[in-house]
Amino acid sequence: MDSEDDFMSGMSSEDDVLQDESDNDDASNDDFNFDEPEPDDLGYSQKDEVKKEKKSFDVTYKVHHPQDIQRQQDDLIDEVNMILDIKKEEAAILLRHFRWNKERLIEDYMDRPKKVLESAGLGPSTSGPPKLEIIDGFACDICCEDEPGLESFAMKCGHRYCINCYNQYLAQKIKEEGEAARIQCPQDGCKRIIDAKSLDLLVTADLQTRYRELLTRTYVEDKEILKWCPAPDCQNAIECGIKKKDLDKVVPTVVCDCKHRFCFGCILAEHQPAPCDLVKRWLKKCADDSETANWIHANTKECPRCNSTIEKNGGCNHMTCRKCKHEFCWMCMGLWSEHGTSWYNCNRFEEKSGAEARDAQAKSRVSLERYLHYYNRYANHEQSAKLDKDIYQKTEKKMIQLQSASGMSWIEVQYLNSASQALQTCRQTLKWTYAFAFYLARNNLTVMFEDNQKDLEMAVEALSEMFEKPVQDLADPKLKVEIMDKTSYCNKRRVILLADTADNLANGEWEFGSDATA
Amino acid sequence: MALCQNRLQEERKQWRRDHPFGFFAKPARGANGVLDLKVWECGIPGKDKTLWEGGLFKMTVTFPDEYPTKPPKCKFVPPLFHPNVYPSGTVCLSILNEEEGWKPAITIKQILLGVQDLLDDPNPDSPAQAEAYNLFKKDRTAYEAKVKRIVREHPAP
Repeated sequence: MDSEDDFMSGMSSEDDVLQDESDNDDASNDDFNFDEPEPDDLGYSQKDEVKKEKKSFDVTYKVHHPQDIQRQQDDLIDEVNMILDIKKEEAAILLRHFRWNKERLIEDYMDRPKKVLESAGLGPSTSGPPKLEIIDGFACDICCEDEPGLESFAMKCGHRYCINCYNQYLAQKIKEEGEAARIQCPQDGCKRIIDAKSLDLLVTADLQTRYRELLTRTYVEDKEILKWCPAPDCQNAIECGIKKKDLDKVVPTVVCDCKHRFCFGCILAEHQPAPCDLVKRWLKKCADDSETANWIHANTKECPRCNSTIEKNGGCNHMTCRKCKHEFCWMCMGLWSEHGTSWYNCNRFEEKSGAEARDAQAKSRVSLERYLHYYNRYANHEQSAKLDKDIYQKTEKKMIQLQSASGMSWIEVQYLNSASQALQTCRQTLKWTYAFAFYLARNNLTVMFEDNQKDLEMAVEALSEMFEKPVQDLADPKLKVEIMDKTSYCNKRRVILLADTADNLANGEWEFGSDATA
Repeated sequence: MALCQNRLQEERKQWRRDHPFGFFAKPARGANGVLDLKVWECGIPGKDKTLWEGGLFKMTVTFPDEYPTKPPKCKFVPPLFHPNVYPSGTVCLSILNEEEGWKPAITIKQILLGVQDLLDDPNPDSPAQAEAYNLFKKDRTAYEAKVKRIVREHPAP
């Protein structure tokens, strides 16, 4: 019976896998759309017909719930179990060892089964299910207990320990270290991995549950196409075919069923249109002291001998380092003693070094101002998005008030909800357009980008203003129509901006300025 | 806790029955004169035919309550000049690291032999002190001279 069941489930799992693979193919085909310029126009005309039509900056992905993730693993295990005729627990260990790459596992196993088993920690095996045993004269090497009737356990490697020591060891690994897929035999140097069935014999039910949770986690972490949704308390995983190397061409934003929108590439909150790499650099730039460094660069020099940083806040060019007492000229940084009689008026390299210093200072100041320009707008949208979010939480209250004030139905006041959501997403996009723009070089594409940005920004600000009007004003049907129009206009502007940026990104058309390398 | 005491008592029995030549290992006597099973004073001799031959290095081994689930801490007193010994004297060795190679079945004998092996075979991938590591990397002759001097300062009886 058993084997027949396995056979059946194996068959169905194969179908599932095939299905999954075709899904993947779809995903990769869609990615390639980025490389072809024509279908975009097509996409636009279709988009107007069907609202949920895929846009060129969208990626294909799938949300998996915890039970799906478990089922996928079970299916793969069943399949390997059937093809290679090995126990399910061992199939699971092998699959984990091969990072769930079933094809490679089967190929390698067919070639050299012994070596594969060895390296996966399954070593040479004798048959028989795992069981606890009471052996006469047994003394546990860990606790040195040798009382008669002591239950003990050994995996196929033969290293035998008492049940209490095993339990404690596994509890430590699972609870404290969060280890699951690679828990080895407690013997020094023994690489044998404990399997799920043996584990069930040795630990309590809560640890078994935890162990399985951790195992599921390794499945998702091992697969490049799967990532956990980073939202707190969300247990879903997202499947997306975007590879790490594609991240300079695509900004893969995904939306989990829990409504969290994030970037599949870097797991940060969604950041279209800026690619992951720029986002990382931007966040670092905003977080670290790089602007302090700019100031230091603009206002100070280093002592030529001890490298202490010195700010000259007045006085003549004869500098004496307070630390090392080195005497030098502020203008040419040369030894003061070499200045001969031309004290207090360095004319050795005056023109050159003076001009250089002035240039460097001016440049540093310009780049600081440029950064602050973009940063202030970025931060402003971040702040506004936070405020809008507060408003969003008040929206529901507002919708109820509006219902009683105007006599509109619940359905009829839903437009406020859509407006609030549009504000959120558009602000998130706008925020990142500023980080993106900071790194762009000046050219025609950038001018077009800034126009799009301006249009979206004006639309968002207008909507935001309408949205904040008091309830009695909102009851006016004219304003309702205006808000609905503005909402759809905002969404449309956002789509245009993102589509334009994504296409240029996919085709490698953006030029990045000197800041992009800094 | 009981497991820890039990195991340590047994370790002590085993050690007294048989232990490798030149080593010593015994529970320390506390201030009140009572043996403390959780702190052992040990001595590790340098291996024959190595730079460290003829030396004997004292090490304190402290066992946590969770022993043998968690590894003991080994500390050279005084701190030893060696690339894998922290300035505090603590030994950096994979089998003594809970997240790396520690297994509950590792015995005191195995630990001491492991540390002895480490003396002449430092692991340059996990340096623990700058002085010994830099000399070992950049000026092997100076390193060896320094080791020889240290061996002379800590002779085996």
